[in-house]
Amino acid sequence: MSQNAPSKIINGIAIDDTFAEAFGMSGTGIIITADTMKWAKIAAVTATGFGTSVIGCGAECGIDRELSPDETPDGRPGVRVLMFGFSPDALVPQIKNRIGQCVLTSPGSACFAGLDAQMKIGLGKAPRFFGDGFQTAKKLGDSRYWRVPVMDGEFVIEETTGVTTDAVGGGNMLIVGKDRTGLLETTEAAVAAIAKIDDVITPFPGGIVRSGSKVGAKYAGMFASTNDAFCPTLRGAVNSELGSDALAVLEIVIDGLTSKAVADAMRVGLKAVTDIGAGKGVTRITAGNYGGKLGQHHYHLRDLI
Amino acid sequence: MGGLSFRLKAAPGERLDIRALTPGRLRGLANAEISALVIGGSKRHLTVGDVFEVAGDAGDTVTIQPGVATLDFAAAEMDSGTLIIDGNAGAYAGRKMRGGNLEVRGNAGNYLASGMAGGLIHIGGSAGDNLGGILAGDRFGMIGGTVVISGSIGARAGDKMRRGTVIVKGKTGEGAGTRMIGGTIWAEGGFGPAPGYMMRRGTLIGSTVERLLPTFVDCGRHDLLIVRILSRHLKATLGDLAPKPMPLFVQRIAGDMATIGKGEILLPAD
Repeated sequence: MSQNAPSKIINGIAIDDTFAEAFGMSGTGIIITADTMKWAKIAAVTATGFGTSVIGCGAECGIDRELSPDETPDGRPGVRVLMFGFSPDALVPQIKNRIGQCVLTSPGSACFAGLDAQMKIGLGKAPRFFGDGFQTAKKLGDSRYWRVPVMDGEFVIEETTGVTTDAVGGGNMLIVGKDRTGLLETTEAAVAAIAKIDDVITPFPGGIVRSGSKVGAKYAGMFASTNDAFCPTLRGAVNSELGSDALAVLEIVIDGLTSKAVADAMRVGLKAVTDIGAGKGVTRITAGNYGGKLGQHHYHLRDLI
Repeated sequence: MGGLSFRLKAAPGERLDIRALTPGRLRGLANAEISALVIGGSKRHLTVGDVFEVAGDAGDTVTIQPGVATLDFAAAEMDSGTLIIDGNAGAYAGRKMRGGNLEVRGNAGNYLASGMAGGLIHIGGSAGDNLGGILAGDRFGMIGGTVVISGSIGARAGDKMRRGTVIVKGKTGEGAGTRMIGGTIWAEGGFGPAPGYMMRRGTLIGSTVERLLPTFVDCGRHDLLIVRILSRHLKATLGDLAPKPMPLFVQRIAGDMATIGKGEILLPAD
């Protein structure tokens, strides 16, 4: 991962000979619908808020894609959100709290399984008790739907959704630039390209991380701290990874339900950066890893270009 | 595919129990063994060979023709494959059926789908009393699966029904949904008198009700999402057999308040 590693140049942008190191996670999908796409997205954005990193948020959450009425169980516009955690058990309280506080409360919302998998996890199992005994269930095929009376009618929520333990968290790329505005625009374009890939999310704000971290800290009790090697203002003071022309670094973190989805997302993200980045001051793409000793999944940048 | 066909030689002089004539039960039997199966209930011990001409090879489909109203227990406890009765079926057709398809091109008798747990039954004509109902010794009536009746049905359909879906293109008799615990009965032609007597949970959807019980209460006009979900599910699983979707707004009538009152009758709202 050193700046001295031989680089491959694509459209004027150096691609480091390195890899992103990612971890196995548990992931689930949830479909949120509403009377309008506006309100489906409001519920989804609220439910996936404060869901950037499992370290501090309990789960990594985001919107996978919008769904047309033909794609939802109730024929209304919807959004598919993904949630990732350390284990299926770790996702249980996250689903309970996020759906209970953010989707149940949102006008006109309903909630359905968004992942077809053999292993199931509770979706409406806990929120249904809000009905205080007035809730009723309707089983159709293999799905059980709970109807919870609320002030704008009924909140309908499927009892379970699928969960997979083959999910991957922590696919990443670090984009280095000499112009902060151009770097942000380029990274936004990469996030937009990744958003078109199914089964992945970029859980950080707008899909972008400006505070990449390293493992541990000088302070007791901190699991992670600033990645000083990639902080441009420390370039002369630490064993920096940055060249003299680097003004800023932005990172995209990718979680996916499968390793292939993460690889596909990284591929289109890299392409987006190399397509437009040079003209916007992007000079280099690298990736975060721990020497390959911690994560089960390695995504070599040059294999994806 | 392939399959066996059973052609009735003459109208049997007694009621027959044909529960053995399903693809699963006949699989692995030689034609001679099939012909020797006892299906009569009298001291005559009538066998398949006495009553039917058997043709074809064992497969996923069994066809009985012509069907008559003395053929009882058709597809009882069937778990896979398709049983076609080209004509009428007797009582207890689909009794405790767990999977597969039963197609009756004529009418079916009483206790159709009693204790049914899974699969699909389509009756081309009408059906008798106690559809999806309970028999002595059972804990529940129908507990799963789907029944579609192209005609009308008799009294007390869904007695102690717990899960599953019944679609009636015509009308139900008196007391549909009696003692119902869950599931759905959708009567496109409407309900006869007193539907939902002592029902605890479950949904009765229809165009009209001949006479409501006084222990049902009007909860008003609503656009219920679950009705849309149900319609889409039925269209996806049944295709042309699915009922026409209800209008956006339905009148929700809850009951039976003589019990826990968590059941409902849904009618088109003005």
